Amino acid sequence: MIEVKGLSKRYGQLQALNDVSFTVEKGQIVGFLGANGAGKTTTMDILCGCSGADGGSAKIAGFDITEQPIEAKKRLGYLPDVPPLHTEMTVEDFVTYAAKLHKVPLNALSARVNDTLQRLSLMEVRSRLVGNLSKGYRQRVALAQAIVHDPEVLVLDEPTEGLDPGQIVQIRELIRSLAGKHTILLSSHILSEVQNTCDRIIIINKGRIVAQGTYTELTRNLAAESTFRLRVARDAGNALVKIKNLPGVVHAKLEESQLGDIQAIEFGMESSAKENTPEEVTKAVIEGGFGFRELSRKNKTLEDVFFQATR
Amino acid sequence: MSVILTIAKRDLKAYFVSPKGGAILFFFLIFMGSFFQNFVASYVEYQQRAASMGGQAPTLEQLIRAFFYNFNFIMILVIPAVTMALFSEDKRNGSLRLLQTAPVSAAQIVLGKFMAAVSIMTIVLVASSVYPLYLVKYGNPDTAIIGTSLLGIFLLMTSQLAFGLWVSSLTSNQFLAFLFTMFGLFLLLVLNWLAPSLTGGGIAEKIIKYIASTDHLDVFLKGMISVSNLTYFLCFTGLFLFLTNVSLDSERWR
Repeated sequence: MIEVKGLSKRYGQLQALNDVSFTVEKGQIVGFLGANGAGKTTTMDILCGCSGADGGSAKIAGFDITEQPIEAKKRLGYLPDVPPLHTEMTVEDFVTYAAKLHKVPLNALSARVNDTLQRLSLMEVRSRLVGNLSKGYRQRVALAQAIVHDPEVLVLDEPTEGLDPGQIVQIRELIRSLAGKHTILLSSHILSEVQNTCDRIIIINKGRIVAQGTYTELTRNLAAESTFRLRVARDAGNALVKIKNLPGVVHAKLEESQLGDIQAIEFGMESSAKENTPEEVTKAVIEGGFGFRELSRKNKTLEDVFFQATR
Repeated sequence: MSVILTIAKRDLKAYFVSPKGGAILFFFLIFMGSFFQNFVASYVEYQQRAASMGGQAPTLEQLIRAFFYNFNFIMILVIPAVTMALFSEDKRNGSLRLLQTAPVSAAQIVLGKFMAAVSIMTIVLVASSVYPLYLVKYGNPDTAIIGTSLLGIFLLMTSQLAFGLWVSSLTSNQFLAFLFTMFGLFLLLVLNWLAPSLTGGGIAEKIIKYIASTDHLDVFLKGMISVSNLTYFLCFTGLFLFLTNVSLDSERWR
């Protein structure tokens, strides 16, 4: 549904995008992850026809955004990073206006608008001016503008930005409910959000795509080692030295947070190493008299993947 | 077409939900009213003087021409206020994205905004035509001159609005848009008088004089409609609408 091929874009000296390519299949929710300034908004702006690329192409539902912009835009809903709102209009007028711009047929207009307002729980503010609403409501009005014409493809630039935790959950559920029928590309710099909502994840850094795949794929591919956490009762410094010298242990360090007198050591182990390394470690701790307390495997989080990929 | 109307309606409404639309109407009518009152007073005074001391009495047609000349002058202040926000405001608060990502062509956006601007100025023009109509009620002026003058002013107005729209599409700063539009319109007004000193005669002077709006409006204010002057205004409007379209399209590359 979304097909991006070899996009590049320069702003003067700055290479904002460099050979960015990805596809999003029909019905998928794909997360576009990157730090601020990584090129998320630039990619989305190009994809939605607001900005031109120096090279490459972007297609929406098979229509090239520069060659057949009208056809492509008919199938597109876009929530930009700055909500595109007319503050002097009422919520209902504004959403109706957006629907008309997107050529929603007149006989379906009021039904579509009502349905959208209901979905985003905007019914109680429908006759208030957009300019007088709080940031969370404004964000939802901007989202209403993107989905009112029921587009096949939705591009959402940081949709939960500025919302309170309750609203974030609500928007997340809404996005999940849109999946299947709609194809969604959403950007975020909040890792947990992407992890919770998206089928696939694309990580972008300094204008390049550094990793893409499902959450499990990413954590498997990028984590060639597994990490363990060991807690001992005393003398963690000496335990650390001992563990470091064991075969199969790649790195080991003292964990910064310490709970009472029980100290923790974090160590990494090659996945290809012999399966009995954890036993060796345990043995060493017990024989050394460090007071064995706990040994656990640490799950890789998206944060780890992200930092590893953007390092 | 319906999309053009949708955009035009929204922008026209936007003038009236803020104090701007009201302010434009208010100031225009106040100024024109006071000018009109002044002109009528001096008209009556000169009439009496001519009757008692002899000499040429002023005609109502002269009064009408003076009135529309002043109309032209006040437009230089009001047109920039009408057009300054059309694109600048949308660019500044990001709502231009709404139009850019809708299945709407740049030409439709330009025409929609242009229609909104022309509509509000037409309201102003219709409202201020009460003053010449007063003369029709209480005197017997040449109504044809009022008609051609209104047509001339309308054509000049649309060309000026097209120019203002273009300036507005170049910047996201409303104040800059206002200033540059005002300078541009003022230049078009005075170019006629500057031409001789700028060029020293010849074909160049003729060209510069042709660009200036003054002579073209004069013809209408004298009660004539000529194809060449009609063409001037239509070409001027068309050119700047086209330039606005180019500027909006090139937005993607900046």
